[in-house]
Amino acid sequence: MDAILEARNVEKQYEDFSLSGVSLEVRRGSITGLFGPNGAGKTTLIKILAHQVPARAGAVRVFGLSYGDGEREIKNRIGYVAQDPPFYVDKTVQWTARFVAPYFAHWDGAHFYGLLEEFRVNPLKKVRHLSGGQKKLLSLALALSHGAELLILDEPTAGLDVVYRRALLDRLRTFVADGERSVIVASHVTDGLDEIAEDVCILQDGRIVMHEDKDGLMSKWKWIHFRDGALAPAVVGRLSNLRRQPFGDSGLTEDFPALREALARALSAGDAKVENAKLEDIMVSLIKGA
Amino acid sequence: MDPILRRSSFFYLSTLVIYVGVLGKYLGSDPWPAFEVIPLFMPVYLASAVLSSERGESYGFLRTLPVMDRAVVRRKFGLVLGAATAYWLFMMLVALARWDSDVSGPATLVFVTLVCGYGLVLGACCQIAIWRFGFSATIGVAAAYLGISIVVAIAHTVGLRRSAGWPVLGQLGGVQWLAGAPWLSVAALAGLSVLVFWGLTKLGIRVKASSEACV
Repeated sequence: MDAILEARNVEKQYEDFSLSGVSLEVRRGSITGLFGPNGAGKTTLIKILAHQVPARAGAVRVFGLSYGDGEREIKNRIGYVAQDPPFYVDKTVQWTARFVAPYFAHWDGAHFYGLLEEFRVNPLKKVRHLSGGQKKLLSLALALSHGAELLILDEPTAGLDVVYRRALLDRLRTFVADGERSVIVASHVTDGLDEIAEDVCILQDGRIVMHEDKDGLMSKWKWIHFRDGALAPAVVGRLSNLRRQPFGDSGLTEDFPALREALARALSAGDAKVENAKLEDIMVSLIKGA
Repeated sequence: MDPILRRSSFFYLSTLVIYVGVLGKYLGSDPWPAFEVIPLFMPVYLASAVLSSERGESYGFLRTLPVMDRAVVRRKFGLVLGAATAYWLFMMLVALARWDSDVSGPATLVFVTLVCGYGLVLGACCQIAIWRFGFSATIGVAAAYLGISIVVAIAHTVGLRRSAGWPVLGQLGGVQWLAGAPWLSVAALAGLSVLVFWGLTKLGIRVKASSEACV
């Protein structure tokens, strides 16, 4: 696997929270979704990956470089959007662009102002007067205007209306389309991001509880809807999240291929049907089970 | 000009201009206690410049840019050193210009250098404290310290004018001893200050890189 970002046994300790032994890889040309409930450690991990805070232990390599050896080069090649993006809030958007331009080797001012226009962010406005969503869009415009090869995004859709959320998701798809650039995006809601993520990583209590490619994941996690009595009790016992509904029962399996044979008769008789699980279902099931 | 320097230098320049314009004229024209009192305000002005330049500073934003912590520290400390040198040069030049008027003498050069060295170290310490504890946690303590410094400087001025036996800092034994070879002492004191400042720069880099108080 050609990894654009690798994290090995990353640890971070806070008074009431710790990130323990987190290892993660982001493939070149892919979008990796980092999901988990509030307080799972997504933001801490993202900040470590973007070198915003130091890790207590472990190693992070981006483009094959460690931050210790190549911080400037790495930061020239990544675009980072924080959960609550920091700015010089008393300065204008235009001032912010002038401030950052000299630091990036490949700053593209015309592209930046084009994005501002698309995002309807007034360059003459002070950052203080932008809404939370507009600050996110400004941060995204900055991240997309210096030829970044890796985007590290923390809750990028928070505060965005449906139109901009769609636009953001489209941009991310386009960003990785050439197969050379990658995105890692953290979110506590799967809201749209599950559609574009190719690799899924679920974090719970500072640990990664699952990291798989989405296709593989979706081929295993399925909802089984069945008529009462259509499945043997042993099969039903292997389902989780059982729901008894007036028109039939439902249960979630995390290993559909292993159940396929046991379900064959009920499926062919029309007494059961299979439905793809949503990432949110998987996340909830894993978190409840963790 | 580097954007970090461009943003911060405004505060250093403006406090220097105010110092030269408001207090500097007393150095240039007032009788004897001028060089005993006015230099005491230099550390206050320099620390104020550090604090005002740090107000609204966004280290979280800087961390998102390809600027390394040590480059930020060097730029910030470069400003402190540059400003301290400018205060020192200004006072030294005025002292030399008034050499023949009983207002300044060898002890004045030593005293000004001592105070500016202290100001340089104080400015660096303020900067490191902000990186270690954050601006909001530092500002209260720093403002109280600067307030006390101003009150002490004013009390010293009043004492010098009204009490016959009030101690004169520029005539203390140590200062007088150093004034025996003023230029050598000035060079040694300046060198020592820069050496301490250099050590603080190293410490600043470590503190800035490991602290999360400003991000």
